[in-house]
Order: sequence, then C-alpha cells, then structure tokens
Amino acid sequence: MTTYAERPTISAIPPLPPQKGKNFVKWVTSTDHKTIGYLYLMTSFAWFLIAGLLALILRVELARPGMQFVSNEQYNQVFTMHGTIMLLMFATPLFVGFANVIMPLQIGAADVAFPRLNMLSYWLYLFGGIMAFGGFLAPGGAASFGWTAYAPLANSTYSPGIGGDLWVMGLAISGLGTILGGVNFITTIFTMRAPGMTMFRMSIFSWNVLLTSILVLLAFPPLAAALLGLESDRLFGSHIFDPANGGAMLWQHLFWFFGHPEVYILALPFFGIATEILPVFSRKPIFGYKGLIAATIAISALSVAVWAHHMFASGQVLLPFFSFMTFLIGVPTGVKFFNWIGTMWRGHVTFETPMLWVMGFLVTFLFGGLTGIILASPPLDFAVSASYFVVAHFHYVLFGTVVFAMFAGFYFWWPKFTGRMLNERLGKIHFWTLFFGFHLTFLIQHWLGIKGFPRRYADYLPTDGFTFMNTVSTIGSFLLALSMIPFAINIWITRKSPLVETDDPWGYGSSLEWATSCPPPRHNFLSMPRIRSERPAFDLHHPHIKTEGH
Amino acid sequence: MKVSWQLFTGLSFFYFILAIIYWLVDGEEVGITGMILSGCLAGMVGFYIWFTQKRIGEVLPEDSESAEISDGAGELGFYSPHSWWPLPVAASATALGLGLIIGWWLTLIALGALFISIIGMVTEYEKPALDQAPSH
Repeated sequence: MTTYAERPTISAIPPLPPQKGKNFVKWVTSTDHKTIGYLYLMTSFAWFLIAGLLALILRVELARPGMQFVSNEQYNQVFTMHGTIMLLMFATPLFVGFANVIMPLQIGAADVAFPRLNMLSYWLYLFGGIMAFGGFLAPGGAASFGWTAYAPLANSTYSPGIGGDLWVMGLAISGLGTILGGVNFITTIFTMRAPGMTMFRMSIFSWNVLLTSILVLLAFPPLAAALLGLESDRLFGSHIFDPANGGAMLWQHLFWFFGHPEVYILALPFFGIATEILPVFSRKPIFGYKGLIAATIAISALSVAVWAHHMFASGQVLLPFFSFMTFLIGVPTGVKFFNWIGTMWRGHVTFETPMLWVMGFLVTFLFGGLTGIILASPPLDFAVSASYFVVAHFHYVLFGTVVFAMFAGFYFWWPKFTGRMLNERLGKIHFWTLFFGFHLTFLIQHWLGIKGFPRRYADYLPTDGFTFMNTVSTIGSFLLALSMIPFAINIWITRKSPLVETDDPWGYGSSLEWATSCPPPRHNFLSMPRIRSERPAFDLHHPHIKTEGH
Repeated sequence: MKVSWQLFTGLSFFYFILAIIYWLVDGEEVGITGMILSGCLAGMVGFYIWFTQKRIGEVLPEDSESAEISDGAGELGFYSPHSWWPLPVAASATALGLGLIIGWWLTLIALGALFISIIGMVTEYEKPALDQAPSH
C-alpha cells in the first residue's frame, strides 16, 4: 500500500488583487525554476526560428548557380551566425530549459539549489546572445569566420570590424551563464533529492542532466579561455594564436577540446528525453536502467579524448589514438540504442505524438551515427572532409537529437507545463511535414558532398553538376520551415482547451513529475508518494503492479 | 553521497589515465594539459563530496533505500521568493564585455556597477544583527 506523508506547508497568504505590469515583474524577477525554465525554452525556441531563417537564406542562395541574393561576405556572416546561434543560443540553452523545468520535479526538489544564480545564468545567456547577434547591426556586419573561428582567420588582420569582437565577447558572456547553470544542476541533484530518491532511483533524464552538467564544467572553461585569448589578440595585439608560434593549432586544440564534449552536451539531455518517453508509450519499464546510466557515464568519460577527430585533415594529430577513441565512444551509444529497442520490444507500443517524435529521433540519429562511424576512419574522412557530407552528417546528428527530441519533449510535457494537451492531429501533421522536409533537405547532401561540393561555399558553376541536388535540398528546407506553421496553430488553438485536471494525463508516467499537479504549484509538491523504485509515479498510480526494487 | 563522490573520483582517475596514455603515445601538450586539468577538476569535486560525507557521518534520507518522505521533514532551507538583483549583475557583466570593444569609459562604469550589484545580490538577505524579524 502506498502511504502519503505531508510536507509541512506554510499557511497560505491571501492573493493580492491583480495589478498592471504585475506579470511582467513576476517573470523578470522570478526565482522559480519552472518560470526560468520556460524563459529558457521560449528564448531558445526564438533563436531556433531566427537561425532557421538564416538557414533559409543560405539555401535560397544555393538553389541555383550564381549569386542572386547576398554577397560572399554576407553569405559568410549568415552561415557563421546560423551555426553559432543553433549550437550556443538554441541547443545548449534548450538543455538548460528542459533541465530547469523537469529535473527538480523528477528528483522531488522544491527548486534548484541556487534560484537567484539560475536567473543570473538566464540573463547572461540572453544578453550574450543578443550581443553576438547584434554584430549584424555593426559597421562591417556580423562575424564571418565560421562558428569555429579558426586562427588566424579570426584575428583582427583577416576579420577586422567589431562584429567579430561582439561575437567573441557575446559567446564568452553566454558561456559564463552556461557554466553557472551546470554548477546549479550538479548541486541540485547531489543535495536536494527527496528522501528515498537514491542516485540509482533517479530518472534517466536527471542522470543525463547530471553528466551533461559535468561535461559543461569540463568543456566551457577551455572555450572561455580560448575566446578571451582571441579577444586579447584582436584588441591588444597579443600573439596567443599567432601562427608563427603554433597558434593556429593551439586554437584548434582548445576549440575542439570544448567542441567535442559540446556535441555530447547537446546529445545526452535529449537522449534523456527520449528515454523518458519510450517506456510511457511502450507500457514497460526501461530495459536496462543501469546499463543506460553506465553508457552515459562511459560517453562522458570518453568524450574528453576524441576532440582531435575534428582535426584529422590538419595532418598534425595522432590519427590512431583519436580514431580508436572515436570508434570506442560509438559503443556506449550503440548500447543506448539496444536499450531503447529493448524497451519497446514486446511492449504495448502506441504512437501518440511524443512517441512519433521519438521514432523520428531514433531513425534520424541512427543515420547520423552511422555516417559518424564513416567519418571516424581517417582514410574515409580525408576523402569527404569539409564537404557537404560532413554538413549532412552533423545535421543528422544534431537535428536528429536536439530538434526531434525537443518536439517530443514539448508534446510530452506540454500538459505538465500548461495544464492543457496539445492537439494530436496537428502534432502528427507537424511531425510528418518536418520529417519529410528534413530528410529531403539533408539526405541528398551526402551525395552532394561525395560529388565534391565543399561546405561554406556561396556559389558553384552550372557545369559542376551540383544544381539539381542543391535545388532539391532547398525545396526540402522550405518544407521544413513550413512545418513550424502547424505547431504555431497547435499552440494557438489549444491555449484555452480544457485543463487535464489529473497528475498523469498519459496514464503510464513513471518519474516523479507525474505525481504532482499540472502545472505544478510554486514549490512543486503538495504531497509526495513514498519512493521505492525508479518509477515512483507509476507505483503511486498503479499500486497493483509491483515494480521490482533496485 | 557515496555514488556522488565515486562518480567524480572515478572520472578523475579515468582522465588521469587517459592523460598518461596520451602522453605515452606522444600526444601534444594542449591535450595532455587539458586532460590533467579535467582530472584535477573532477578530483577536487570528488574529494570535497567525500570529505563532506565523512564530516556528516550518517546516511542522509535521500541516500537511504527505505527512507520515508517524513524523514526529510523540517526546515528545507531559505528560498528567495523573487529577486531583482540577477538582472543588474548580468547587465553590468555584459556592459563590461561590451566596454572592452567600444571604449574604456564603459568598462569603468560597468566595473563599478558590477561591484555594486554583486554586493547587492550577495547581501540581499543579510540583515543587521538587531533586526531579526523574518521578512519573508
């Protein structure tokens, strides 16, 4: 039998009469992890739309040979900001947003460990992002040296203008916010779990948030160091990244020592979202709970030793070491796939919208993983390095994890966020439009790359034979962009739909966030069930089914 | 807390081992330095948690398999209900960075503003010893 223990509650203060501007002040001064999480989610989604529009500019320009819309320099600015925004203003803060809203609920905490620091992280992220993007208004335009800012291209001789400076300082400031967020999450998970919520009863999503935060602490300080060094070169004429004293390689090493763990910072939390959704719509516990955690730990451990596979073509790195390590890190990722499939195996699988998005994630990410194995092999990498094959690979990996899992998470947790369900039919239209749009855009880019079209080129000749494939890709990208319309309509028409009035609208939720109301009260739980397994909410709602204790 | 410090010290050892392997196969300096520093960071956190566990000396309710929710009852700690201070801290930190680009005058102003706002944020809930009345 499940027993309840009431948390001591403070007698309620009578609500104040509504005032104008009250809501604005409430959001701006909030220290509630859920509100801050929503701010993160909304801001990062806005950046997703902005960077998506930038991508459309790139695709329009590439649709036909010749320069139609932008100049070479503008093209460089657009792809630089597209990459920067997608990785550092959209995907990374999206992790912080989901972690903020969901993780404290899943571990049974009242808030994060440092609520004001949490808000400080958000402001640093917002201001840093605006600063980097503000380069478009600067004389000379935004940064145009690619999101990787290789030395010496990024120095003040080859990339003059304050657009580059704004980019560097903006990223340094928003990176500071990310580091503070990581500290906050680790502390929260270590010190604020509910009684009985041992580490090995924590949901996979919370585990992945923990390990992602550890990777944030390892990866972002080297980035900050590299950025401040670059800015010192640009402003004060220091010679840290001067090629004469090996600065070109120093930058690449520092940047990718950040850049590769960053890829896992983007992947792990979204693996976590998929892992939360699969058991709910398979009506089965997760297959291999501890195996999944072990795989995540292995990925975090190995991810500091694979950075130089981004530098194979430099000819100055240890190919066997980094190739071996890269193949090795593919193993725990494969283990995760095994566990996800094992979770669905012989379960009562139903395809509600969140589950559909997870299927899209599995398919797309699997494909990106396979091309990753190809690229991990130096002889194959040399053949396609810096071509559209690489572009296709990382869009499959990153779009597959981040965007598919993001929408999966939105549809899954929307009732938890707002108390209302999103429309299923529109959700399915949204999914299929986006799925076909994405694959139409990027699948063909593999062949484009193999035929030799290099990345970051603004133009090509009609005789190159790239025209047809580029046109197909551009058509796909517009389909992809159109798929945002059903989502917008969905949010609009369900804004006043009936409240779900239940803790667990999906019926088979496992983790603790499904044991509190939708949306949860200010400090999350009015009462909490006894925690005896990694599925406390399931045990509460289905007491007749015994979950094995761990 | 046992899992917590084991996780961090385990990662720390692994990073040190990787650094040694990388050094043995003639890796370059940046990577060796990076891995050693990663090992030190993880080791530092692991040591702190281990040390704290020793100091507490008892199993906390969140680490106990058979804890009841009531075991964690009592004072949960102080939560700031809302705060204006993070905004000026972040704004002046941003202005500090912007000042490096557009002019030293802004850096100097931002430095002052940052100093004041950090003091404001840190001491927001510090009250003089005489005024002990709970304000929240």
